[in-house]
Amino acid sequence: MSASFDIGAPSKSGETFVLNLGPQHPAAHGVLRVKMTMDGEYVMRSEPVIGYIHRMHEKMGENRPLAQFLPNTGRIDYLSALHYNHAFVGAVERAARIEVPPRAEFIRVITSELNRISSHLVWWGAFLLDLGGFTPLLYAFDDREKILDLLEGVTGSRLTYCYFRFGGVRDDLDEGFAGRTRAFIAQMRPRLKMYRQLVTDNVILRKRLEDIGPISPELCRKYGATGPVIRGSGVPYDVRKVEPYSVYSQLDFDVPVYPEGDCMGRYRVRMDEIAQSLRIIEQALDKLPDGPTLGKVPRVLKLPVGDVCYAVEAARGRLMVRIVSDGKEAAYRLKLRTPSFSNMSLFEEASRGMMLADALALMGSLDLVIPDIDR
Amino acid sequence: METPVDTSQIVKFAKLDELLALSRANSLWPLTFGLACCAIEMMAAGGPRFDISRFGAEVFRPSPRQADVMIVAGTINRKMAMAVKTLYDQMLEPKWVIAMGNCAISGGPFVFPGQYAVIEGVDKLFPVDIFIPGCPPRPEALIEGILKLEEKLTGKRRWPVVKPE
Amino acid sequence: MDGAVTTPADHAAKGYDLDVALAAGGVVAAAEYLGGIGFSLDTMTGVDWIAQNEMEVVYDYFHPASPLRIVVRTRVPRDNPEVPTVSGVFPGANWHERETHDFFGIRFAGHPNLTPLLLPEDADYHPLRKDFVA
Repeated sequence: MSASFDIGAPSKSGETFVLNLGPQHPAAHGVLRVKMTMDGEYVMRSEPVIGYIHRMHEKMGENRPLAQFLPNTGRIDYLSALHYNHAFVGAVERAARIEVPPRAEFIRVITSELNRISSHLVWWGAFLLDLGGFTPLLYAFDDREKILDLLEGVTGSRLTYCYFRFGGVRDDLDEGFAGRTRAFIAQMRPRLKMYRQLVTDNVILRKRLEDIGPISPELCRKYGATGPVIRGSGVPYDVRKVEPYSVYSQLDFDVPVYPEGDCMGRYRVRMDEIAQSLRIIEQALDKLPDGPTLGKVPRVLKLPVGDVCYAVEAARGRLMVRIVSDGKEAAYRLKLRTPSFSNMSLFEEASRGMMLADALALMGSLDLVIPDIDR
Repeated sequence: METPVDTSQIVKFAKLDELLALSRANSLWPLTFGLACCAIEMMAAGGPRFDISRFGAEVFRPSPRQADVMIVAGTINRKMAMAVKTLYDQMLEPKWVIAMGNCAISGGPFVFPGQYAVIEGVDKLFPVDIFIPGCPPRPEALIEGILKLEEKLTGKRRWPVVKPE
Repeated sequence: MDGAVTTPADHAAKGYDLDVALAAGGVVAAAEYLGGIGFSLDTMTGVDWIAQNEMEVVYDYFHPASPLRIVVRTRVPRDNPEVPTVSGVFPGANWHERETHDFFGIRFAGHPNLTPLLLPEDADYHPLRKDFVA
């Protein structure tokens, strides 16, 4: 039962104080500052202050030729960097009408879904760390290291990937990749079962998360929240299904949706998404065609005048890249619509009247990566 | 008025100094100061595969009053610079700073003509002891940085140097 | 809506289905209409067309249940850019408008709190303007 609080009632002691959470705080997931006006343990009003990791990605997009922006895409949201690669190269390919060979599309899907799993594992470990449990973080990082080994063999990086190129991917998969990935999937499924038994079904976790932080579908719509936040509120919105891109329409997977709208619903959505991603990877490995991994791209790439946008389902929600071009090598305006920005903006309204520990559980369940908010 | 004399100038406790340096090096407590991508590699270094617990440094303290070493992992912003300096000032002596990643060393990939937000390197704010290049540096690089800091403290390196094959 | 120029677009080529160009005064009515049929505000983009002495504000809308994407754009003069706020219809626009104001200096009339969001609190510069010098 959430301990909610009638905001209209005067505070018992008549005094409120301002508690400053961050920018350096173990539960702030990066450099986020939240000024909370508290009445005792209850949050009357919270005002997020962002911008502490604003790294001018959009300005850099105007300053350099398009291909030189690719390393930036890995650093906007470093936990699911390949999705950001995908959105940017997708926008450029859409504008310049570059064909991507099918093998490259399947490789993109396989690596993106592996990245989604590793991102959800970090979320899971960090979320439970916020709630007070240290051990799942270590298990999550152990599993994640196996994924990072797979991706390092393909892309060369552990974290901030810059693997996709206009027209495909940089390198082909090596011969052992499919075998290693299948071995990983076979080993990951029992681990998910163990996590369900130890953590998801844990009565303490349930009491911490059930009925905490309700977010209604209408609230999501008003703030533009997407991803597991909207799917945990009962709306089956997933860009891979609603606005399909790449080869997702050829793959068979479910979109987990839970109607409760509380932290537990969002938690369950992400755990089920890990299982669905394993399914997608298996199918994509089965269907992987032969062929080239890079399409034809002009030597000096200039986009036609006008604007174009491309949306993908990143690990945190809907990611959209909008490029306005004036025919030169650099974009005239590069806009990144990042999921954490919209997801965070509803925190003010959603956290009114909650206890501080519950407000932090709500913040953790939104799965924020602060450079994603600040860009 | 007499100039105040620091005891270490006139009295040297040879073995005690060495013992203190060894105990400080063996249990460096880092401040949780992950700002951006390098923070994840720092967390991975604390994770089970790379395990800085072997070197006594897994106890990340959120409070600067309780930490010895500030591992600046990520980009420092103009908006954040005041907060970083405050944290550094709040740490108690003896304290050390490790600049992890290209952003902390010199602004990293975010330096371009006309940039308005990034501080080009944390050594513009306060002195840094160890620089670990990389974007992000591997957890092994962070561990090597911590071992170099231990070498700086004790004067000798206690762990073997890894030679690539 | 008066003065609205509507152009259908090819989703596969542009990423959106409908492009609506309006005068600045019509953005709130457009937002209310789209909000009423279930659309959600995706993002707001400012564009500095310095050569034409205008600034453009582009609103992207997406629908949680359909692949339709609608783009609403409006242009304002560069030396006095002012657009009415849509944060009454979409509270999410509160942050988007603060960010657009940060980067371009476009004022959103009626916004409850048009203070810097991403830039330092005392920032008085607008970095994404084309004539910005650091």
